[in-house]
Amino acid sequence: MVSFVKKQLFILLIFSIFISCNKEKDTNLSFKEGIAPKEDATRAWLHKVENYKKDKNYMTVFYPYYNQLLQKKKYLEAAEVLDFVCMYLADSYDFNDKFMATLYEFDKKYREKLPVLKTTFVDSFIANYYYDKYDLKKVETYFKKITVLEPNDYASCYNIARAYYDLSYVYYITGKQNLSLQANQKAFEYFNAINNPKGLAFVYSNYTNIYAAIGDKKKAIENADKAIESYKKIDNIYNVYIGLINKISIYEYLGDTRKEVLVDSVYQAFVNDKDQSAVLKMKIYNFKAENLVNQNKLEDAKIMLDKLKKVVDEINSEDLTKEYIVTQALYELKKTAKYSNISDIKNTLPQLITNQQYEKANMFLGVLQKDAIENKDYKSALQYEKEKKVIDDSIGNVVERVKIAELETKYQTEKKEQQIELQKTVILNKNTTIALLASLFIGMFLIVLVYVFRQKQKKLKLEKQNAQQYTKQLLEKTEEERKRIASDLHDSVSHELLSLKNSFEQKTEITNTKIDAIIDDIRIISRNLHPIMFDKIGLKGSVEQLVERTQSVNDFMVTAEVEYANSLSNSDELQLYRIIQEALSNIIKYANAIAAKITILEKNNTIFIEIKDNGKGFNVAEKLNGKNAFGLHNIIERSRAIGGEARIHSDKNGTIINIEIKK
Amino acid sequence: MKILIADDHPFTLQGTKSFVESYGYTVQDTSSNGISALNLITLHRPEIAILDINMPGLDGLDVAKKIQELKLKTKVILLTMHKELTIFKKANEYGIYGYILKEHAQTELEKCLQEVTKGNKYISEFLEEDLIVNTKSNFGELADLSLSERKILELVAQQKTSKQIAEVLFLSEKTVEGHRSKIIEKLGLPKEKNILLKWAMQQNL
Repeated sequence: MVSFVKKQLFILLIFSIFISCNKEKDTNLSFKEGIAPKEDATRAWLHKVENYKKDKNYMTVFYPYYNQLLQKKKYLEAAEVLDFVCMYLADSYDFNDKFMATLYEFDKKYREKLPVLKTTFVDSFIANYYYDKYDLKKVETYFKKITVLEPNDYASCYNIARAYYDLSYVYYITGKQNLSLQANQKAFEYFNAINNPKGLAFVYSNYTNIYAAIGDKKKAIENADKAIESYKKIDNIYNVYIGLINKISIYEYLGDTRKEVLVDSVYQAFVNDKDQSAVLKMKIYNFKAENLVNQNKLEDAKIMLDKLKKVVDEINSEDLTKEYIVTQALYELKKTAKYSNISDIKNTLPQLITNQQYEKANMFLGVLQKDAIENKDYKSALQYEKEKKVIDDSIGNVVERVKIAELETKYQTEKKEQQIELQKTVILNKNTTIALLASLFIGMFLIVLVYVFRQKQKKLKLEKQNAQQYTKQLLEKTEEERKRIASDLHDSVSHELLSLKNSFEQKTEITNTKIDAIIDDIRIISRNLHPIMFDKIGLKGSVEQLVERTQSVNDFMVTAEVEYANSLSNSDELQLYRIIQEALSNIIKYANAIAAKITILEKNNTIFIEIKDNGKGFNVAEKLNGKNAFGLHNIIERSRAIGGEARIHSDKNGTIINIEIKK
Repeated sequence: MKILIADDHPFTLQGTKSFVESYGYTVQDTSSNGISALNLITLHRPEIAILDINMPGLDGLDVAKKIQELKLKTKVILLTMHKELTIFKKANEYGIYGYILKEHAQTELEKCLQEVTKGNKYISEFLEEDLIVNTKSNFGELADLSLSERKILELVAQQKTSKQIAEVLFLSEKTVEGHRSKIIEKLGLPKEKNILLKWAMQQNL
């Protein structure tokens, strides 16, 4: 039984482990990156970012292929191809008119034929386009078109996360830090859901910017490092540089002196790298040039600026060009205390402010301030300083800071609450699981217990049946044997004696009498062994004969009342006869009774047997547990063997033995 | 007069056959078991069948029963070692004509055959003689009384009423009353009130 229980326990444990495994999987709903479908050669070629970067023919391959797909009405495939082209172009700030026209056409004609989540790249690209054109209101509008959607797979989740991230950045540069933080948190959640390190790196970058804007230096740098770590994880050098550039920007923004060292080391690493992206080049060269200007290495700065000019022209991005202009201005101011295009800067400044491009505006103001200082126009310098403050506050004003701090606390609290809730749920689930398991175990245990108990009972019953069967067989065999001996004696030996008696030639009275006496003795022996011709005479006749003989032999008053319809088998009848015989013999031997009565009654499928006397009686329990109780046990066992139950009652008025046999 | 004899002991069979023939009867068939005996009886219709009781197949009682059932004219004489009255009673139910014991065959068989031939019944006079020591002699005047009657008489002497006697002996009061009349009759007592009690007291039982 013990081993059985152990086995059950083991199975239970396995079961519980299985359940808990399942549970863990279910708690985090996430999307897994699907396996890319098979692509034809052209598509595969277009899909590779290297081909876009290296091969000038990339777009000339793209257009016919794309148009072909549209003609074949393979809109989804067309959209997919368009999607990755959009991605490459946006990354390179390439918003050429031809492509824009193609995209707008797609937006107008084919977009509605496809699921919304499959075409978010259109909004994304247009947003990027407006970003390059400073129209940040439109940028916000287009990104919001994406963020209102709910993801249904890995790709859509990524796109929405990306949109949130971009939106967050836009909010950041327009000084709406609370919105920026909210959007960024959303982006974080979505990127986290799909476990995308690149996206997370973007998010960290944004956090860096936001914290820098609200003056949390520590958190800003922390997040910048997190971003770089994440970029490193995805093993993409381009992105690592993006992270580093971000960090430099933060140092710059915060006026951290570590900026110089970082710029130098990043520049050094970048120069040694073979794979150079134009955007990275522009950014890093710009930083380096700025460094050189600050270090007063003006010749080196000039060389750097010339290199930078080429890159800037190549990229032809308005946004990036402004950064170059600022550096150029700073260089010139340093060299000649005069910047040739200072009026340009002055003219562009209001436009930047209107466009809420506060970062750039700040840079421009810095140039103007430097110019004023160089020209000893301290009044203007102070004015510019004041304006800079205003702009700074626009990026992250005091009120906003408080709001953000509140927001963040709220967010953190909410997060904690969520965590607590989650933990509670987990604990509750665990408790439920434990309770379930416990009750399951108890249930199992009870079942096992009941099972074992039942088995035991069954076994006992079987054993009892077997014992009864055995007793019965034993009794029957004994009877058979007795019968055989009795008939051998009666039939064979008596006959031999008879023929012996007849064979004497000289017959004497003495021998004849002797032989007759022997024959009579044998008769008595055989009758005692087995009732004569029991199967012929039957129970009733045999009992009556027994009564008669007891009366005459023992001079004992016994009567019999038999109302019996021969419904028992002959062997059972014989057992009953033996019981009566035994009881009668006990009465004669021990009871000291005046009379006894035997009753056999058959009523409604039950046979009642009663043997009663008016003797002195005895203590039944004592007698049964004593030594010389073979006669009584004989009665009980024989009753059992024929499926009956013997009850013995005895007191000073006599003894009654009752046997009830159900047919 | 055709006779069939059946016995599973060949010597006894032979002996019986010799006896029967020596009395001037014809033994048509002999058989060593009940089945062939019955077949021969149905086939040859003997007037008399002398059957042993203990035989393989069908025993003598079975054969007698069959003969009765088949309404055959054959008269059955059972020649057996069984002295018990119960067996005779059973046999008598099957309408047998003779019942004699093997150990007394020499003295009774001829007479039995004669009686049965006449259409009378013949029952062995040794049958009723009880196997056990004859107790009759010990009771003197009460020798003719049965056990029940003697017990009742004893209780009467103890001044017990019929009701009390009936209770003690597990009999009905009516039975006790019947026995009392029988006792008075058997002892030849005059019909007086309480005569049995008076007599019992006198006898100092």
